[in-house]
Amino acid sequence: MNTPAAESLQHYGDVLTRIQPQLTGAGQPWLAQHRREAAASLQQLGFPQRRQEAWRYTSVDRLLQHAFIPAGAGQPEIDLNAFLLPQLDAHRAVFVNGRFVAGLSSLEALPAGVTVGSLKQQIERNPIVPAKWLGQAAGAPQHAFSALNTAAIDDGLIIHVPQGQKLERLIEVLHLTTAPTDAVMSQSRNLLLLEAGAQATLVERFASPDAALYFNNNLSEIILQDDAELEHVWLQEESPAAFHLHSLFINQQARSRYRNTGFALGGTWSRTELNIDFLGAAAAAELDGLYVAGDQQLTDAHIDIRHSVPGCQSHTNYKGLLHGRGRAVFDGRIEVKANAGKTDAHLHNANLLLSRNAEVDTKPQLEIYADDVKCSHGTTVGQLDPAQLFYLRSRGIAATEARRLLCLGFAGEIIDRCGIAALRESIEAAVAARLEQAAINVEAE
Amino acid sequence: MLNIEKLQASVDDKPILNGLDLKVNAGEVHAIMGPNGSGKSTLAHILAGREGYKVSGGTASFEGEDLLALAPEERARRGLFLALQYPVELPGVNNMVFLKTALNAVRAARGKPLLDAVGFMKLVRERLGLVQMDERFLKRNVNAGFSGGEKKRNEILQMAVLEPKLAILDETDSGLDIDALRVVADGVNALRSPERAMIVVTHYQRLLDYIQPDFVHVLAGGRIVRSGDRTLALELEEKGYGWLEQEDAA
Repeated sequence: MNTPAAESLQHYGDVLTRIQPQLTGAGQPWLAQHRREAAASLQQLGFPQRRQEAWRYTSVDRLLQHAFIPAGAGQPEIDLNAFLLPQLDAHRAVFVNGRFVAGLSSLEALPAGVTVGSLKQQIERNPIVPAKWLGQAAGAPQHAFSALNTAAIDDGLIIHVPQGQKLERLIEVLHLTTAPTDAVMSQSRNLLLLEAGAQATLVERFASPDAALYFNNNLSEIILQDDAELEHVWLQEESPAAFHLHSLFINQQARSRYRNTGFALGGTWSRTELNIDFLGAAAAAELDGLYVAGDQQLTDAHIDIRHSVPGCQSHTNYKGLLHGRGRAVFDGRIEVKANAGKTDAHLHNANLLLSRNAEVDTKPQLEIYADDVKCSHGTTVGQLDPAQLFYLRSRGIAATEARRLLCLGFAGEIIDRCGIAALRESIEAAVAARLEQAAINVEAE
Repeated sequence: MLNIEKLQASVDDKPILNGLDLKVNAGEVHAIMGPNGSGKSTLAHILAGREGYKVSGGTASFEGEDLLALAPEERARRGLFLALQYPVELPGVNNMVFLKTALNAVRAARGKPLLDAVGFMKLVRERLGLVQMDERFLKRNVNAGFSGGEKKRNEILQMAVLEPKLAILDETDSGLDIDALRVVADGVNALRSPERAMIVVTHYQRLLDYIQPDFVHVLAGGRIVRSGDRTLALELEEKGYGWLEQEDAA
């Protein structure tokens, strides 16, 4: 009898074979080769198992119970107003089930020379940038899901900011997934290229108009050339039944700056993998994240930072709020290679457990092979402080409200890292709503 | 207003209060003095509802209601306020949000309409002046990074905003220099009224030069061993607590 993992391999192998003719880029051998190699590595790698260190605390069994299929070409009806944030003035690109929807996007005001939009269109109209850069930052697939994404490259987000261009207005990208009947798989393939000295701010939001079951398997490659700067904020509010994986590969050239501020709130199973590679000296990355998980939720943050050149900085600060039977995994690794002197790398993870049944597995790792570096890492797991709770209650504030204020205070450090005021408020509201649903009043007694 | 009879309490099976009696009426200011470890802070915390104390006997009622049966927030809503000796830092909790949430919780319980941002700011601006605090304090997180004096002033600001019927000040003078002490005392004095009672818990008589009490009680060994008027505090200053303990033992 076949194991679920073997059955899944068979299923996704069949899916890939079936969809190949429909994928974009007919007659572009470079793309066909990417897909062919990835399809082969999917079969070689197999789906991740708990005995692999990177998947030790995150089982994919629940994901493999479903045979997800690619969404049909038909465009589901979407009421965009339900997803728009008031006062967020942005160039907007909207993707539904991984496909760019021009009718819902507003990109007319983009400055000349700047590309924001559909990878598929770009491949069809002018494949120079995708042909050169796709797969560069990601390299060979490390696990079956990256292989699956690459083997089916079709559409997704492309951003290309030419040399020296500073985009004033922010870019907002909505990744909406909906599947009223089938358990669909949406696979965005995203490519961001900021040439030397370019600057941009990107807000990515993942959401669903319903409570559908789906698998959103995203892979993003971000290339920051010399002195480029990207502020990247993401908010994951997938449907409560959704599986969400986002693998990001960031290549940073000299003096480039990357800020990633992420909020993982939704989904039943979600994992974000941030891979930072410093390829040029004196670059900097700031990674801040907040995850909130309750009943029926597993949230996983994987961070891998490789300092391979001298004088780079990486500051990582992740916080988690776990309630009910919520589970979280934090795995943060900093590697400082022998020639990466003057590295300044810090990684911290703090967790607040709001119930006895909540659980977190946190594993910060520091591997240093260079001298003359400033590095630190630390992790905490705690509960709400009774002295703080009493203080609030002694001022007339109900116990539930007191807990809510303290949790928001804990999360506030990360929320405040988001430099976009209009977004900050809605993130705070989203976090507050999650905490309210959590009935933290009962759990913490 | 407050009626404590034969109150007995312990922490980790160690008796702290051993049959304490105290009666406080509206408009009165009572000072409770006593040596370290006599149970002064324990009394203040038990009245405010802090967990971790075991009341093994006696009663405490507030306006006829059993105080000890109420949750801390219910006590606050009925008009009891404790200014802490060590105000707690709340990182990430904005001072203004904290004050407004507290005030509206108390107002809702008292059947008063809730204040909106404008109404709240008007009230809080006026009260800030009482403790010579700057509006910038409102934008900071509660007590986070505040100096000792700023924390104590923030306590009195909360009291001024919440307008309690009974305020208990636990060692409000500790850690204050003379200028800060004067500011805090002026704030407290401005809040004295015929409807409001205060219990000032202090180790030193110094604070009582600024906040003049109607009654002074000496707490020793978990009971009130002597009560009197202001002159008792002066006598204690002169003779020390040893004098009373010896007398008590005799």
